[in-house]
Amino acid sequence: MQAFASQNNDSPNAVHARQVAFFAAFVLPVYKLLELPSLLARYAKGDLLLPALLQFLSQIGILFSLLLVARRSEKSIFERLKEHGKGWEIAFYAVYALYFLFASALPLLDLEKFVYAAFYDTAPTLFSFGAFFLFSAFFCTKGLKATARTADICLFLFLIPFLALIVMSLVEADFSNLMPLFERELRDTVSAMTRSAPHFADAVLLMPLIGNMRYKKGDGTKILAGYSVGAVCTLLFLAVFYGVYSGIAPREHYAFAKIAQYFPALAVVGRIDLVFVYALSIVLFFFTATPLQYATAFATRATGLKTKLPAVVAVCLSAFLFTLFCNKYYDSIYAFFGKYLHFVFIAFGNLAPLGFLFLPYKKSYRPSPPAPPKPAGKPPKKEKKHAQ
Amino acid sequence: MNTNQTLTTSLTENEKTIKKLLPAEDILSHAFTTADGRDCLLFYADGMVNKELLGTLVARPLTDLYEEKQGGRDKASVEKTVLFPELKRVENTADMVSEVLDGNTLLLVDGLAVGFIAGAKLLPVRAVIEPPTDIAIKGPREGFIEDIKTNMTLVRKRLKTPDLRFETLRVGRRSQTAVCLCYLEGTSNAEVLAELKERVKKIDIDCVPDSSYIAALASPRPRSVFKNFGTTEKPDIFTAKLSEGRVGILVDGSPIALTAPFLLTEDLQSSEDYFISPFSATIFRFLRLASLLVAVLLPAFYVSAQLHKMQLLPLGLMLTIASSVQELPLSPALEMFVVLFLLETLKEASIRMPKYVGMSLSVVGALVLGETAVSAGFLSTPTIIIVAFSGICLYTVPDFVETGSILRWLFLLVSGSLGPFGIALLIAFLLGYLLTNDRFGTPPLAPFSPLVRRDLRDSAVKYGLHALNLRPRLLRSPNRTRLKKGD
Repeated sequence: MQAFASQNNDSPNAVHARQVAFFAAFVLPVYKLLELPSLLARYAKGDLLLPALLQFLSQIGILFSLLLVARRSEKSIFERLKEHGKGWEIAFYAVYALYFLFASALPLLDLEKFVYAAFYDTAPTLFSFGAFFLFSAFFCTKGLKATARTADICLFLFLIPFLALIVMSLVEADFSNLMPLFERELRDTVSAMTRSAPHFADAVLLMPLIGNMRYKKGDGTKILAGYSVGAVCTLLFLAVFYGVYSGIAPREHYAFAKIAQYFPALAVVGRIDLVFVYALSIVLFFFTATPLQYATAFATRATGLKTKLPAVVAVCLSAFLFTLFCNKYYDSIYAFFGKYLHFVFIAFGNLAPLGFLFLPYKKSYRPSPPAPPKPAGKPPKKEKKHAQ
Repeated sequence: MNTNQTLTTSLTENEKTIKKLLPAEDILSHAFTTADGRDCLLFYADGMVNKELLGTLVARPLTDLYEEKQGGRDKASVEKTVLFPELKRVENTADMVSEVLDGNTLLLVDGLAVGFIAGAKLLPVRAVIEPPTDIAIKGPREGFIEDIKTNMTLVRKRLKTPDLRFETLRVGRRSQTAVCLCYLEGTSNAEVLAELKERVKKIDIDCVPDSSYIAALASPRPRSVFKNFGTTEKPDIFTAKLSEGRVGILVDGSPIALTAPFLLTEDLQSSEDYFISPFSATIFRFLRLASLLVAVLLPAFYVSAQLHKMQLLPLGLMLTIASSVQELPLSPALEMFVVLFLLETLKEASIRMPKYVGMSLSVVGALVLGETAVSAGFLSTPTIIIVAFSGICLYTVPDFVETGSILRWLFLLVSGSLGPFGIALLIAFLLGYLLTNDRFGTPPLAPFSPLVRRDLRDSAVKYGLHALNLRPRLLRSPNRTRLKKGD
C-alpha cells in the first residue's frame, strides 16, 4: 500500500515531480504567449528566437541547480531550510513573499489588458476585471497541492487549444520571415533579453513546488524535460507569430487571441478559435493567480500566522488596487519594469535561488529508488505512476 | 416509557406489557391454545406479515403436535415444534417491539418468560421492473425497488461470493430505517468503508425516507453543488461498482442505491458502454460530454455573444439574430432568463402533473407560450431554440441534471454581467474548487487531475475489457487484479 501513501497524501502542500513537470510544460508557457512575442520582436529586431532560446537555457541552468539541491537529501529543500535556522527561514519567506507580489504585477496588468482585448468588443467597466481577484483570493486559500493539481488539468486545457491555434495559424505563417536566423547585433539580443527578463523568471516560479517536493530518482529528468517541452511550445509560437506578422509584429499585442483568425473556415462558422483562446485563458488565470498564492503562502509562513486569511486579503487587495489604479499607466509601467527593474527579476528570480546550493547536506545520501515495493495486489511492472 | 423490560412467566402480564409498549391500532394479537392446553399469543403488525404462513408453520404445529410430539414444556421444545425456519428467541421487550414494528411476529407462550420472533414478514412491495431513470437498450433490465431485502437479493444474485458483505445499521430515531453497507471484502478500501460507516453512524435524525437523506447527511462536502455519492437504480451497475472496489449503500424504502467514492466521470458513463464495442462507447461518451458542455454553456455563450463579443457568431447568423431581436423589449440576458425559467417551470410542472393534464400542458407550453410569445414580440426564436436544445442536451447525462441546471443558471448570471470573461473565470473557479475537494480520499476530477494514466482507460474514452484488467487505481483496492491473464 506504500504506493498509495503519496496518492492519498492529505498534506495541503503535497507535490509530485510529474506535476512540477506539467506546470513547467503547460502552465508557464501560457504567459509567454501574451505580450512577450511583440516585446521580443521590438527589441530583438525580428530575431526573436535567439534571446528566447538563451533565456530558456539560463533558466534550465537555474532549474538544474535547484534540482541538484533537491537531489542531495531525502528531505525537501524547505525542510532543510527550516533546519538551517529560524532567522534564515523567516527572512527567506518574507523576501520571497514580497518578490512574488512584485512579480505578479506585470502578469496582472497583462491579463487585464488581454481580457479587455480578447473577451470584449464593447468597453467594459474597470471593475469587470475585479472578478478575477475573487478567483485569486479563493485560489490563494488553497495549498500548493491545488497548484500541483492545476498542472495536471492544464495538460488538457493547454495542449489541445494550443495545438489547435497553431494549426489554424499555420495557414498564414511564412517562416521565411524568420530568416536569417541569429544574425542580429549582440546589443539587440542583450536588450531583448533584459527587457524580457520579467517574462522568463520561470525557475523561481517552480521553486516553491520543487522546494516542497521529496526528490526521487528520475524526478530531475522529468522536470527538465517538462520545462523543455514548455520552451519548445513557446519557441514554436514565437516562430509562427513572426511568420504571420513579420514587420508589424512589434505592434501586435496579445497576438495569440487573434493569430488564428485568418483560418478560412472561420468565415463560415464564426470565431471558434476564440473558444480555444478562452480555454487557454483558464490556464492563464491559474498562472496569474499562482504568484499571488505563493506570496500568500510565504507571507503566512514568514509571519507565523495560523490562518492564511489575513495574508490572502492583504495580497489580493493590494493586487486589486494596483491594477485598478495603474491600469492607465500600463505602457509606462511596462517600460519601467523592463528598463529599470529587470535586475530584481535577475537577482531574485535567477541568482538568489542559486543560494540553495550552499545549504548543508549529507554527502553520503543517494536518492531513493523511483518505486516502492509492489503491494500484494500485484500491479503490473510497467505501472509506477501515482497521483496526488 | 421504559421499553427495556423482561417478561414474566404469566402470559396475561406479558400481554399487558406488550400492549402497553405497542398501543398502536395496527398491532394485532391472536390467541390460540396448544394441544396440551397452554395459551399462546401472536403479536404482529397488520398488513406486514404473511398470515397464511404464520398459521401453517407456527400456530398449527403448536395446536396439533405440541404435546404428543415433544411432550415437554420448555423453550427448546417450542422451537422444535414450530416449523418456521426463521425463528429466534428474544428476552428483552425492546427487541420484541423493534421486531414487531419491523414486520416480524412475536410468539408468547404461557409459562415461558421469553418471546419467539418468527420472520414471517410480508411487506407490500412492487415488482422488480426496469427503472424509468436508467433505461438500457442492451443489458440487464432489473431495477432496485423500495424493499431492502429484495435489493440485497438482487445484489447477492449477481455476486455469489462469501466476500460480499452486508452490514446493516439502523438510522433514524423514529423510522429505524435499515441502512446497509455493501462491499466486497478484500476488494473495497478499508479506509473508505470505515469513514463511511462512521459517517452513517453519526447521523442523528428522526426519520430517513430515502437514500438521498443518507447521501446528504453522510456527505463529506454537504454544501457542494456537486454530488458526493454515485447513485444508481440498477443492480448490475451497483454490483459492477462494488467489484471495482467501491462501497455501496442500500437504504430501506429507497430504490436508489449509493456508491462511494464518486468520480465526476461516472456521470458520463452508462451501463450500456460495457455491453457495446469500446469504439461506440467512446463516441457516446464524447457525445455526452459535448452535450453536457452545450447544455451548461450554450445559453451563457449566446448571451455573451450578443452583449459583449459578437465575433463569437458567424456574420450570417449574427444578422439573422439581429433581425429577430431588434424589437424585443427585454435585454438578451433577461430574455434568456425568462425562457430558462419557463423551461424549468414546465419541466417541474410536467413531472408533478397527472399524465393527461401533462400532455395538454406540453401543448400549452410549446405552442401557446412559445409560439405566441414570439409572434407577440416578447421573446425571440433563437433564444427558444437555444434553451430547448440546452434542455435536451442536459438529459443525455441524466445523473448530472440537478447540478447542470444550477450551473446553467450560474453561467447565465456571469455571462450577463461579465460576458465570456465571466464564463472562463467561473470555469476556472469550479476547476479550482473541484481540484482540492477530495471525497473519501478521492479527488472528483480524477483521473484527469491528479492524472492517473491507467485509469484514463475508462474515463472519457473507453478501452476494451481486456485492457481494463486492473481495478481503478484511484479506488485504492487492496486487490487490483480484475481480469487474470489467460482468462
